[in-house]
Amino acid sequence: MDRREFMQFGALAGGTLLAGQALAQTPSNLAPAVRARAEKPRIVAPGGQVAVVTPNGSTLPWKNVGGVKVGHLVAMPVRHTFAPGLEVEAWGYNGSTPGPTIEAVEGDRIRIYVTNRLPEPTTVHWHGLILPNGMDGVSGLNQRPIAPGETFAYEFTLNRAGTYMYHPHYDEMTQMALGMMGMLIVHPKRSRGPRVDRDFALMTHEWKVLPGMRRPDPNAMSDFNVLTFNSKAFPATAPLVIGRGERVRIRLGNLSAMDHHPIHLHGLYFEVTGTDGGFVPESARYPETSVLVPVGSTRVIEFVADEPGDWAMHCHMTHHVMNQMGHAAPVTVGANARNIDKQVQALVPQYMTMGQDGMGGMEEMGMPVPPNSIPMKGGKGPFGSIDMGGMFTVLKVRENPEAEDGSGWYVHPKGTVADKADPAKLAADGIDPDVRFG
Amino acid sequence: MKIWSSSRWKKPAQGALLASTFVLGGCVTVPYADDVRDVRSTLGSRWAPELPVPALTGEAPRGEDVDTVVKELLSQPLTADAAVRIALLNNRDLRAAMHELGIATGNVVQASLPPIPEVGLEVTKPAGSTKVQTGLGLEYNLSDLILLPQRRGVALAERASEQARTASEVLGLAYRTRLAFYEVQARRQQLELRNLALRNAQARYGTAVELEKVGNLRALDLATERSAVEAARLAVAEADNALQDAREDLNVELGLFGADTQWTVDALLADPSDALSKQEGLEARAIEVSLDLSELRGRMEAADRRNQLARTEGFLPTLSGGVHGEREDDRWEMGASLRVGVPLFDRKRGERIATLSSRESLKARYEATATAIRASLRQARFRVESTASRAMHVRDVLLPATRKALEETVLQYNAMQLGVFDLLRAQDNVTNAASTYVDTLLEHHRARAALEQLLAGRHQGVELAPTRISSAASGSAPAADAH
Repeated sequence: MDRREFMQFGALAGGTLLAGQALAQTPSNLAPAVRARAEKPRIVAPGGQVAVVTPNGSTLPWKNVGGVKVGHLVAMPVRHTFAPGLEVEAWGYNGSTPGPTIEAVEGDRIRIYVTNRLPEPTTVHWHGLILPNGMDGVSGLNQRPIAPGETFAYEFTLNRAGTYMYHPHYDEMTQMALGMMGMLIVHPKRSRGPRVDRDFALMTHEWKVLPGMRRPDPNAMSDFNVLTFNSKAFPATAPLVIGRGERVRIRLGNLSAMDHHPIHLHGLYFEVTGTDGGFVPESARYPETSVLVPVGSTRVIEFVADEPGDWAMHCHMTHHVMNQMGHAAPVTVGANARNIDKQVQALVPQYMTMGQDGMGGMEEMGMPVPPNSIPMKGGKGPFGSIDMGGMFTVLKVRENPEAEDGSGWYVHPKGTVADKADPAKLAADGIDPDVRFG
Repeated sequence: MKIWSSSRWKKPAQGALLASTFVLGGCVTVPYADDVRDVRSTLGSRWAPELPVPALTGEAPRGEDVDTVVKELLSQPLTADAAVRIALLNNRDLRAAMHELGIATGNVVQASLPPIPEVGLEVTKPAGSTKVQTGLGLEYNLSDLILLPQRRGVALAERASEQARTASEVLGLAYRTRLAFYEVQARRQQLELRNLALRNAQARYGTAVELEKVGNLRALDLATERSAVEAARLAVAEADNALQDAREDLNVELGLFGADTQWTVDALLADPSDALSKQEGLEARAIEVSLDLSELRGRMEAADRRNQLARTEGFLPTLSGGVHGEREDDRWEMGASLRVGVPLFDRKRGERIATLSSRESLKARYEATATAIRASLRQARFRVESTASRAMHVRDVLLPATRKALEETVLQYNAMQLGVFDLLRAQDNVTNAASTYVDTLLEHHRARAALEQLLAGRHQGVELAPTRISSAASGSAPAADAH
């Protein structure tokens, strides 16, 4: 009996109290909460520049007042769901983390009111922007902090196109750890380079939320166990749906506390076209499939996807594609589980050794786990469970992207999916699967 | 406060003693049954009705019958009541105490006997006479006869005191037997728990061995788990030793040896009974029923009576009287005599000082004992309530909390946040909480027995274990897995 069978038997025979919670957290119930239907891109900037889409997020609405774009950010506590089954007490802007993406055009005069509904003061720093010193938002250096209940006004002209971010510069450790951040996109007045068909913004972040807790730990310096794109962990990350042959831009920002993220895309190569410092000259670009996004930086990549399919996009740090991973358990790989189980189950009947044959497929076991926690990995895929979590999403390249809502899987042409080898073909090709080495 | 009076005892006892004097004459038997009956009478309402008293009825089976009853009781798993019953039937110290009461009874009988008359015969042959003169005389110690009631009063008071002491011994035996039985129960449960802790340590070590075999564990961790197993094994041995000691302590009270010591105990220590209702006047009740104080009052009464006797002896001249007859020339000449001793030098002053001092000493001891009884009563009562409350806290709060912690540890284990060693440590915390429950229950039953003993009338020998102040370590959360 393997652990999965054991748990099923236990649930049937023992009627464990936690069976309900276990069922509530089976992978089949962890479907993405928000699906991003690929709408026809809106044109928002000169030169046919399309609007930025923030998967799982939103864009700040503007009011035009006397030629000034006026927006309102409310810093506030929010209840946020990383993925179904894991809800936290976070802080954010306008009811979400990350806050709404601020999108404008080079030369725009913007006025943003910031209301503080946090229990402590705050400020907003416009990360990467060059602006009047008094608008830079560093508490004590450039302004006095915004006290709880106060509303401050920030006003400046966007003189430089690019991909930027915003975040507090008062008690940064706590406020950013709890989710206060957002992207700020300034389109160029004159479009640069080839026009893109899709423009996405993804904010990477890391959190420490131990299973059973509801408040991210701001004191964490390591052991971050929830890794997110736009504050969502797979399987709740909305896929990026694009059309085959479309030119796509993805703007990546990183306001993690401690970790850089090497973001890797499958099925294509890209070039880094920009940073929060500006545009990368064409002569300096080179093809890549992974881009390291350092803490406090943005990276903009552009590509054309020619190969249709469902392509993985993820941080390549293997612990960053896990949910609430724990590392306190001893390594059991290779151990004789039967010998261990016999002794431990006599004392703790619910126990069964796991991991002795490796960790794969553990999300399918349906083990009861602490409330407000999600399996370390796993999300529904066309061939079973996808054995990853955290900072992972799917790039869906489709012939007709507007018809997709992201929930459908790519239908592979016959003969294009790796499968069990035909013995006759093995023999014909001179392959002996029983070959021994060493 | 009720003062002991020999009049309660006098009439039936006096009648029985006089009857024995005149009817049985020189025939002497050990008055065991009568003494037992008197002890039972002294115990009276102090003796809880549900407690077995076959050994105190005066009609108790003796010899082989006792063995049969005891063996029958021993053939079943023991209960506290059965243990007390066996002790009352079989404990030789209790029989010795009963026979010691017989010594006091004998002293009463002896003190109740009138002095023996002295008869004198005198035969003389005056010089030069061929006739033999015969003289007969009867002398009787009148002063001893006059003092007889007082001497008997002293003996009666002493016997009453001894009767109270013997009744107290009965209570003491029942108390000690119950304590010993509770101790056996607790030690047996603790042994089971230490065995559980050993199996836990062995499971940790076994897991460590399997992990080390495949290169997943440091030798340090393996050695640490090994040392934990050996420490747990030692704890089992200690618990086993404690159980054997407890069994032997109970065997002493039960008067058992040889094959009879193979009795078993199945029952677990009972859960705490409801806390005592807030009865008022328990201190006064303990004082009123105290056999320790009864004994002291009896001794004070005896000292008073000895003082009276000494005073009477000091002032009463030694009196003896007699009649005298002398036969001369075939006729008797009769006469009477009275001999009077003049107490010029010895008026029993020293004896009176001694008895008065003894009386005052006993009075002071009486007051000290009463103070100690009151303090013990309050202490026992508080301990009963405190231990009941603590035991219920352990049962209803701490144990469920450790079990909940174990359940949560299982969940955290499932989520790979904790390891198997944390899981087993959490299980060990449950075992330790259960161990705390057993200790607290034992303390509760000890305190309850002590309180019942005080309210039954015995203070002597009552003791409460020192108050334990435990650390909260057993309930702490498991630390992050070091492996």
